[in-house]
Amino acid sequence: MTPDLCLVCILLIPLAATGLALIHQGLGRSRSAAHAMLATLCSLAIAAVVFVLLGSSWMGFSGGLAHTFHLAGKSIDWLGAEPLFATGLASNPTHSLYPAFVLAFGIFAAGLASLIPISAGTDRWRLAAICAASALFAAIIFPVFAHWVWSNGWLAQLTPLFGLPAFADLGGAAVLNVLGGLAALSVAWILGPRQGKYADRIATAIPGHNIVQVLFGCILALIGWIGLDCAAAILFYRITYAQILLTVINAVLSASTGCLAAVVTTQLRYRKPDASLSANGWIAGLVAGSAGCGLLSPLATIFIGLIAGTLVTLLVETLEPRLFIDDPGGAISVHLGAGLWGILAFGFFAPTTGPRPALILTQLIGIATLLGVMFPLIHVLHRLLNKFIPFRVDADGDWQGMDVRELGAGAYPEFVVHADEFVPR
Amino acid sequence: MLIGYLLMVSGWLLVLASLFLLAGFGQRFTFVVAGLLVELLGLTLTALRYRSLQRGPE
Repeated sequence: MTPDLCLVCILLIPLAATGLALIHQGLGRSRSAAHAMLATLCSLAIAAVVFVLLGSSWMGFSGGLAHTFHLAGKSIDWLGAEPLFATGLASNPTHSLYPAFVLAFGIFAAGLASLIPISAGTDRWRLAAICAASALFAAIIFPVFAHWVWSNGWLAQLTPLFGLPAFADLGGAAVLNVLGGLAALSVAWILGPRQGKYADRIATAIPGHNIVQVLFGCILALIGWIGLDCAAAILFYRITYAQILLTVINAVLSASTGCLAAVVTTQLRYRKPDASLSANGWIAGLVAGSAGCGLLSPLATIFIGLIAGTLVTLLVETLEPRLFIDDPGGAISVHLGAGLWGILAFGFFAPTTGPRPALILTQLIGIATLLGVMFPLIHVLHRLLNKFIPFRVDADGDWQGMDVRELGAGAYPEFVVHADEFVPR
Repeated sequence: MLIGYLLMVSGWLLVLASLFLLAGFGQRFTFVVAGLLVELLGLTLTALRYRSLQRGPE
């Protein structure tokens, strides 16, 4: 491990959160812009505190303490068992640097993943519920799956357990993005669509209020994503210096091709490039490319980015009008759809010394675990939480906007008030 | 909706069972793919249920 470089990479991760925050507030309505940004800050803050207090214990780290059980003569490592409240670090100053690095990385990673669902709940998800959901995410959902993949849990031990290659996720396509995307899907289902979105059962376009901020957010997200990919790959896969450079190149390539694919797809379908979908294509490329960031060849990354950018456009067109899923920021298509594609693509394109089908099988097992264990867990937890802290703002708040309703003041007080904001319906 | 959730979990159990009980690569691959298909069926059922809730009565 190269500690200085790893630290710099970790410090870049908040830029990814900044980028995502700008994207989802820009794609929402102006009357909820301040709420969206404050929700992002609160989500990051709560995730950091809860992850240090609880999540870091359950995420653990490779070589650390873990809970195991025995099944059919095999020892299954299923949860970290480090001391709660991160007391292990403070009580042992001579401790190796590695746990401290994992903790620092986990704080930002848990925060970044926990704010992905905010994008799907823009304009109607209450702040208190966002905070509670972020706490749940950082305490339980993220640490459990991160342990399985990154802390020598059972998905990382498929070789000794079952003679298969280990499930690989170098940059967090599964651990951050697919988990966040699944949480976004759950939130979108629980909240339901924004009022006026499906007038007469036909999807109505509610355009984002500031596309310039969305596109600026894409640039910030690229820098943050490079840091995220490099930090995760250095910490959990011990990539070499040359592979770190390859990670940087691949991140730029995947984002670029994702964006270009979305530009071309929307040009072909709508006769003009769509800026918001192109921004989504950029992020989708980053997400898909992160699964194998330091190992894939640039050519494979270009292909993965192209598919991700095209896929995200098609998914948005399917989820919104056909499945009645109102996802203003496109989080489900971008983080879930492109993330799953990235995980699968790793099986097809990653260099391997063993048989290729075994690597594909391993990646499929990871996808099956995400869909079959993590999604039901996320959705049940969200539904329980919704009973105690209602997710959705009331009908008046929906039209009034989250800024005035929950914060008491708008983000742009000098702007002209939209005609429909205070009109009773 | 409950059936959808149960199918998703059942699909994963099928995947897990194939790892523990089967040794041949072909058998494992088949059962893992079958498990994934069961999960996707569960996800589809849940999605359709939510769609009908959002659309409201005909």
